[in-house]
Amino acid sequence: MRRLTPGPPRRARRGRLAALFAPSLNRRYVLTAYAFLIPAFAFFALMFYLPIANIISNSLYTGPQADQFAGLENYTRAFGDEGVQNSFVITVIFGAGTTIGAIVIGLALALLLNQRLRGRVMFRAALLVPYLTSVAIVGLLWRNILDPQLGILNRVLIDLGLPTQSWLNTHPLATIIAVTLWMTVGYTMVLFLAGLQGIPMEYHEAATVDGAGPWQRFWRITLPLLTPTTLFVSVMAVISGLQAFGQAYIITGGGPANETDLYIFHVFNVAFTSRDFGYASALSFLLFIVIVIFTVIQLRVGRRNEVQY
Amino acid sequence: MATPSPSRRDILRWSGTGALAGLAAPWLSGCAGAPQEDTEGSSGGDGGSGEQFTIYWNAGHAYPTYEKVIAEFEEAHGITVNFQKFQWPDLRTRLLSDFASGNAPDLCEDSLWTQEFAISGDVMSLQKYVDRDGAEMGFPDDWHPRTISRNSYNGEVYGIQLHLTCTMLFHNRTMFDDAGLEVPTTWDEFLDAATKLTGDGVYGVALNQDHSYSWPWLLQNGVRFYDPDTKELLTPHDKAAEALQFQADLVHKHQVAPVPTPGTDYSGPQKLFSAGRAAMILTGPWDLLPIEETSPDLEYGVVPALKQVEQATIQAGSSMFVPAKSKHPDLAWDFIKRITALEVETATTEEVGMLMPRQSWREEPVVQDDERYAAFAEGFDYAIDFTEPLQLTGKSGEIVELYKTLYQDVVMNNAPATEALDAFLTAGEKALAG
Repeated sequence: MRRLTPGPPRRARRGRLAALFAPSLNRRYVLTAYAFLIPAFAFFALMFYLPIANIISNSLYTGPQADQFAGLENYTRAFGDEGVQNSFVITVIFGAGTTIGAIVIGLALALLLNQRLRGRVMFRAALLVPYLTSVAIVGLLWRNILDPQLGILNRVLIDLGLPTQSWLNTHPLATIIAVTLWMTVGYTMVLFLAGLQGIPMEYHEAATVDGAGPWQRFWRITLPLLTPTTLFVSVMAVISGLQAFGQAYIITGGGPANETDLYIFHVFNVAFTSRDFGYASALSFLLFIVIVIFTVIQLRVGRRNEVQY
Repeated sequence: MATPSPSRRDILRWSGTGALAGLAAPWLSGCAGAPQEDTEGSSGGDGGSGEQFTIYWNAGHAYPTYEKVIAEFEEAHGITVNFQKFQWPDLRTRLLSDFASGNAPDLCEDSLWTQEFAISGDVMSLQKYVDRDGAEMGFPDDWHPRTISRNSYNGEVYGIQLHLTCTMLFHNRTMFDDAGLEVPTTWDEFLDAATKLTGDGVYGVALNQDHSYSWPWLLQNGVRFYDPDTKELLTPHDKAAEALQFQADLVHKHQVAPVPTPGTDYSGPQKLFSAGRAAMILTGPWDLLPIEETSPDLEYGVVPALKQVEQATIQAGSSMFVPAKSKHPDLAWDFIKRITALEVETATTEEVGMLMPRQSWREEPVVQDDERYAAFAEGFDYAIDFTEPLQLTGKSGEIVELYKTLYQDVVMNNAPATEALDAFLTAGEKALAG
C-alpha cells in the first residue's frame, strides 16, 4: 500500500533538491494548494500590501514630492494638529451614528419584512436599491433634494404648511449620517433577514409553549442568535464609517466650517490641496491602526457574547 | 481505445499550472518590448504615425472651436490627440498623481496653479519659445498685462493665458425698473437696493457658497490675501473683518440674502437669479450661457464692480502649461500658438461667450457690440488675481483651505468676523512657517 506520509528512511535517501523535483503525494497536495493561493496572494500583495508598505515608507518623508526625509515628524505633527483631531472626532461620531443606525434600522426592517406581508419581496428589493447606487449618485441626488431654496424637501414642507429647513447648515453631520443610512440600511436588512431565517422555528415554538411573549422571545432567542450577524454588520459598518469620503466630497465639501470634514476627506485635502503626500500617508496609516484596533475589540467582544442553543 | 480520463490530481496540477501561467503572463509581457508607439516619445520631435499627444482640459471648456483646432493640429503633425476632460478638482488630483508617478500629459489647461507647479519643478519654462515666437504671436504685448505675472516665475514665462474672466454684478433690470432703483455703485447703495428688492419670495442678493466669490468684497475694501513684505495674511486685518462681516450681515442681520449652503456646486445663485428669486448676484461670464438657456426672457444687465475703498473685482480664467515631463514640448507649444490665435478667440466668444486675454480681442465687433462682454472687458482693467502673491509662498493650497473655513464660519455660521479672523491668522501663520 502506498504511504501518504513519507517515512524517515526514504526521506533520508533524498536530498532537499530531489524532494522538490520529486515531491511526495502529501507535499504535492500542499504545493497545489499554494499554487491556488498564489493568484489571490499576488492580487492582495499588489493591490493592498504593497500600497500599504508604500504609504508607510512615504509617511517618513515630507515636501511636495515627498522626497525629504522627516523621520517620525509627520506622526508627531498629527497628534498636535487641531484639524486632524477635529476630523477624527467628526468621523468617530459619523461612524458611531451610521453603525448604530444601520444595526437598529436594518434589524427593525428585517423583523418587519420577515413577517408574511403582502408585497414584501418588492419592499426588500426597493430597500436594497439605494445600496446598489454609487455614493456619488446618492450624494448628488440628496444635495438637490436638500437644497434649501430649490430642493424638493422644502417644497413639500411649504405645501404642508411647515417651516423650511437648511439641513446642511443647521445639522450637517446628522444630515449626512441620515443620507448614509438611507443608502446602507437595505444591505444590513438583507443580512439580518438571512440571520433571522437561519433561526429554527422550534426555539420560538418551545418558548411560546413555555409562556414567553414576543418581547421575551426577541430578547432571549432572536437577538442572541443574531450575534454573529450583528457582529459582522457592526464590523463592516465601523470600517466603512471610518473610511467614508464621498458624503463629504459630494454633498457638503466638508463644510460648513469643517463640521463634516470626515477623516479621509481631510487626508485627501492634505494630499491633493496642500500637496503634502508624506503627511497624508502618515494620517492614512494612523487610521489603518485605528481601524485594526476597533475591529479587534469588536471581534473579541462580539465572540464573547456568541451563544449556542 | 479508451481515452484515459484525467485524475483529480491531474486536474489540480493542470489548474495550478494554468493559474501560475495566467498570473505570470502580464508580468512577463510587461518585461517584453512595449509597442513602438508607446515608447517612441520624440522629445521635441514632429510626431509621427501612431503617436499620441495627451491634453488635460477642463470639461466645460471643450468648445467646438477647440475641437476644430485639435483636428487641424492632428492633421498637421500626423499625431492623435488624446483629449482628456476633467472638472477642476479632479484635474488637479489627476495631475498631482501623474507628477508623482512621472507620467504627465503633454499639455494641460490650469486654474491658477502655474506658479505653484513652477516652484515645485513640475512645469517647464516656456521662455525659449516665447523668445523665439513671442513677437510673431503677439506675446506678451497683445495679452492683457495682468495675465503675464500670474503665469511667470523667476522672470520666466511658464504659462500662457487661455481665457480671461472676472466677476461682475448681475442685476435683474425688470426688478430694478419696477422698484425705481438705480444700479448700485457703492456698498451702501447695494445694501439699500437689496433691502428694497427683498420680499415676496425674492432675495435682494444671493451670495455664493464658494469662498472665492467673497473676494470682490475684500478687494473693494483694500484687502490683499498676502503681503510679501510683511508676510502677513489678509491685510489690513480690520478691513478684512469688515468685508467678511458685511457679507454675513447681508445674510443674518439684514436678511436680504439666503444662507449659502455648503457644498461643491457654485451654480446656486445663478439658479436663483434665473428663476427670478434673486435680484442681484456676483458672478462671471460662465453663467451667461446657463441664464440664456434657462431664462431666455430674463431682462438683466452686467454692471461695473462696486467701490468701497477702491473699485475692484477678482480676475479669473485659465492658462496652459507644459509639464516638465511632457514627451512633446515642441508640439505643445505649437498647440498653444494655434489655440490662442485671435481668430480662434473671436470664434469662441461668438460661439459660447467665453472671454479672452488678447488686447486685440477687446476691439473685435463681437465684444464691442455686446454690452455684457464689453462690461466684462472693462472689468479686466481693475480685476486682481487675489492669490498671486500667495502662490509664490508654495503654501497657497493650505492657506486657501483655511480661508474657506473662515468664510463659511462667518457667512454661513454667523460667527463674529473678528474672532474667526483671529483663528484664521493663527492657523495661517503656522502654515506659512511650517
